[in-house]
Amino acid sequence: MSEQIDQALARKYDAGFYSEIESETFESGLDESVIRRISEMKGEPEWMLEWRLKAYHAWLKMEEPEWAHVTYPKVDFQAISYYSAPKSMQDKPKSLDEVDPELLRTYEKLGIPLHEQEMLAGVAVDAVFDSVSVVTTYREKLEEAGVIFCPISEAVHKHPELVKKYIGSVVPRTDNFYAALNSAVFTDGSFVYIPKGVRCPMELSTYFRINEQNTGQFERTLIVAEEGSYVSYLEGCTAPQRDENQLHAAVVELVALDDAQIKYSTVQNWYPGDEEGKGGIYNFVTKRGICHTNAKISWTQVETGSAVTWKYPSCVLKGDNSVGEFYSVALTRGRQQADTGTKMIHLGKNTRSTIISKGISAGKSNNAYRGLVQMGPRADGARNFTECDSLLIGDQCGAHTFPYIESRNPTAIVEHEATTSKVSDEQLFLCQQRGLDTEKAVSMIVNGFCKEVFKELPMEFAVEAGKLLEISLEGSVG
Amino acid sequence: MLKISNLHANVEDKAIIKGLNLAVNPGEVHAIMGPNGAGKSTLGYVLSGRDGYEVSGGEVTMNGKDLLDMDVEVRAREGLFLAFQYPVEIPGVSNMEFMKESVNAIREERGESPLTAAEFLKKAKEACKQVQLPLDFLKRGVNEGFSGGEKKRNEIMQMILLEPSLCILDESDSGLDVDALQVVADGVNSQRDGKRSFIVVTHYQRLLDYIKPDFVHILADGKIVKSGDASLALEVEKSGYAFLGKQYEEAEA
Amino acid sequence: MSQWLEQVIDNAQNVSDFLSPARDAALSELKLQGWPGRRTESWRFTPLSSVEKRVVVENKDVTTASAPVIENLEVIDIVFSNGQLITDTASLALPKGVSICQFKDADADQQAAISSLYGKVKPQKHTFGLVNDALAENGVFIDVAAGASIEPVMRISNLSSQPCDAHTRLIVRLGDGARATVMEFGEGSCESLTTAFAEYSIGYKAHLEHYRFAMFTGKAKQVGGSHFKLSELASLNSTLVGYGSELSRLDVDIWHAGEFANAKMNAIYLLAENELFDLHSCIEHAVPNGTTEENARGIIGDGAKAVFNGRIHIHRDAQKTLAELNNRNLLLSRRGIINTKPELEIYADDVKCAHGATVAEIDDTALYYLLTRGISRSRALVMLNFGFVQELVAQIPKTAIADWLLPKLSKRFAEMEVK
Repeated sequence: MSEQIDQALARKYDAGFYSEIESETFESGLDESVIRRISEMKGEPEWMLEWRLKAYHAWLKMEEPEWAHVTYPKVDFQAISYYSAPKSMQDKPKSLDEVDPELLRTYEKLGIPLHEQEMLAGVAVDAVFDSVSVVTTYREKLEEAGVIFCPISEAVHKHPELVKKYIGSVVPRTDNFYAALNSAVFTDGSFVYIPKGVRCPMELSTYFRINEQNTGQFERTLIVAEEGSYVSYLEGCTAPQRDENQLHAAVVELVALDDAQIKYSTVQNWYPGDEEGKGGIYNFVTKRGICHTNAKISWTQVETGSAVTWKYPSCVLKGDNSVGEFYSVALTRGRQQADTGTKMIHLGKNTRSTIISKGISAGKSNNAYRGLVQMGPRADGARNFTECDSLLIGDQCGAHTFPYIESRNPTAIVEHEATTSKVSDEQLFLCQQRGLDTEKAVSMIVNGFCKEVFKELPMEFAVEAGKLLEISLEGSVG
Repeated sequence: MLKISNLHANVEDKAIIKGLNLAVNPGEVHAIMGPNGAGKSTLGYVLSGRDGYEVSGGEVTMNGKDLLDMDVEVRAREGLFLAFQYPVEIPGVSNMEFMKESVNAIREERGESPLTAAEFLKKAKEACKQVQLPLDFLKRGVNEGFSGGEKKRNEIMQMILLEPSLCILDESDSGLDVDALQVVADGVNSQRDGKRSFIVVTHYQRLLDYIKPDFVHILADGKIVKSGDASLALEVEKSGYAFLGKQYEEAEA
Repeated sequence: MSQWLEQVIDNAQNVSDFLSPARDAALSELKLQGWPGRRTESWRFTPLSSVEKRVVVENKDVTTASAPVIENLEVIDIVFSNGQLITDTASLALPKGVSICQFKDADADQQAAISSLYGKVKPQKHTFGLVNDALAENGVFIDVAAGASIEPVMRISNLSSQPCDAHTRLIVRLGDGARATVMEFGEGSCESLTTAFAEYSIGYKAHLEHYRFAMFTGKAKQVGGSHFKLSELASLNSTLVGYGSELSRLDVDIWHAGEFANAKMNAIYLLAENELFDLHSCIEHAVPNGTTEENARGIIGDGAKAVFNGRIHIHRDAQKTLAELNNRNLLLSRRGIINTKPELEIYADDVKCAHGATVAEIDDTALYYLLTRGISRSRALVMLNFGFVQELVAQIPKTAIADWLLPKLSKRFAEMEVK
């Protein structure tokens, strides 16, 4: 029976194609001169370069974290190219018409048309291709509302005061090994600024694509929501199918000022490697948000890709009554390894957090939830509720739960629950008896298992996530 | 004894009690009947002061004092007793420990000296016997693993031990067979001494065959819509709550 | 490397007996592993700085001492006082089917039995366990014959009344179908560092009732472990009680080596002042069809710190395992800290595993119920707090032990409340 399920799970990776685009790619290797060159390519001001160099020197002294429940050969940081951009982007195209049609075709193939008239209404997209942002749609419309949505490399020039103030304020340069690396070499990413009291009129979305071989992608995203504002932001990612591993080390910083709300959703579909674990993306990401008084940050992630995932979107609940949420579905199969979860740091009074994590392990994969809930001494009346459920499919995979709970406040309440289950023969039998094939049955059971998380996704993305899971579960059951 | 004037109360911002008036004199037994969702249980919770049951208007006095101003335990010490529809299980705390603590807290309020362990045990055993619970119940965790009927009898035992002046029985008959109902009713009747007052909340007339009320009130949509003597209960038994209008007729159907 | 550990390794050179091969292996492992730093996951929340630079206190004085009397309980007492065995094991009056000897007096068969278990049940990763392997000359071996059912409780006490470094060891073997009760008891508050490790092999269909009461307080530093290997259809019922001291650490490992074994473990910790108690439990389901139920509950008052790490590890083949772990904590003070980490590591799909952990959760409905009976809020909170510990005491199989323990815990809890 489990073999049948496994077949049902066998996936096609639709995003595995490579686009023939002439690129300028740095020689592999990392030293100070590489960082200076990146900074120069972007025409950055001096302060930005200094900031990068400080991060680089700190990184040199840091050690790669080894505590995660994942094993992989050490990354050779000198074998990676830290910058790659389509040649056509050098002239900074003024409009979509000037953009290399091959680039546009790439996104079209991925289901993300960049011509505004063809797009889903109500979603603005920033398309990041290797190390540069290709295009950002609907900018005028957003500007009317006072919303800034642009590549971070552009924000460094146009809004230096905002970038200077907030970059590294949530994830410090030296926060961890990968964050330090990212701070030194980040190439592009999105910058979002929502002014006071503004409800962002559309969903904002960034689509990350790694195309070039042997390059790492180091994007940096910064979202600042001023007092009483609201934004919903979506992130998607894919990469070509290759035999070598590629590194993706991103940093995402969210700042939710008083009464602001940020909803951050991710559908992560980096190339996961083949059945035997050859190739795939190493996804080592630091995501963190800070909530001021009455603010709310909600992370929703659907993780189906990457060979190795190391990722803990977190909330620092600094302001009183602030709220942090984490909803996650992580599906691993083949030889994928995921170590993912969240941190909820309760500092303010009456802060609330909810963690719902659904892990699905199949094939020979390992899927771990790792989380931290911390109640500070001043977090009077704070509450956390955590639910971690694992679904095992087949007897060659692993499902693990490592929740760290620390409380220093007698009035704080923490509740953690974890369970494991399998797709039972009875469930399958019932579905089949009612006329469903194994594939459909498993897909249905898994979808049901994830329902709590899917309902948190914005409508436009819920469809995509559903499709993604279906592709993941699509197979060749006879 | 108890005077409720124009009481309004909300649960989670939803109005449940909407202008309720009721006066209970010493020694009287008032039955409150009504369809599901009328606010019967809410009344008991509001009077006892449960968190989340917010009084939005009106007054309640007990023995001339403002009841609504008191904390839950102070109301209990004033002599208000609520027999729960769903008694709570408290694993690890024995019935004995629980009741001794409670009896002595109330005695202290009345200016009486606390009972010694031996004195308490004697009283507790008697009460146990009266509601036909085996003595080893005293040692077990509060309501832990008790059947529905045992839990209800335990509530009555507590009432006997605490000697309150006003008892609110919240659907003490629900889920009981005839024999258990008889035990509960006997327990209640034994406590009728002409001074102690009772508010008996029930959905069915059945309990009132055993505990004879002086007054019967019909509670609907947060208000008392009809009052009368025991014959009103029989009327309800016969023709249901149809007289309240179509919506209740359907609800009961 | 720590100064103390270097001294320990030096001292270990002088220990020589039939266990020397095991001791040597432990020493080389120790040298290999080095001193556990803050990055060592198993010591992440329990700093060892007070041991790191400690100077070993040699104390070979023999001091008389006796363990507390437990009313209505038949006990066979074996006492270590400041690390020295003061009970003449040879003259103990023992029921038929059990033999007790100290390592020194072991005959060839007993030596073989001890060697086959020494360091073999306990995982070889624990620094202090390895120290104990290398240094514990004072050991006791309890051997319960197949089919024997031993009524009296065999109690092994570690009493410390003088400054010392002391290392004691217990090896227990239950033959097939045997039944026995073993209690490990520890008490003391003076400046001392003791390690006390016990390894249990529970035979086919055998049943062990186990207690470990680690009631060290004050300046006493105690690091210990109880490690169990369960054969097919074996069962274990264990109750642990921990007080806190400057350093109090207990490791419990339950290893399901045979199918259809059943383990139940309840742990209670009550911590006051600036005490620390650290409980690490690890349940290894290496084979199919095992069941485990673990409940750990603690109350942390004053500036105390509790650390709990409860791991359930389901190996690849351990299908049809049922394992549940529940940890509940009440933090009474703003200065107290609780670090808890229930872990699941699962490699088999047809299993039912769950864990839960809570901190400071008082049931609002239960509180309301007590209040409606006239009980004050503060008293009601005490009753509910202590009630949740009492619930585990009530599950102790021997009433005499429960009756002895409850007032002790209640007194300790009452003292915590006052402060």
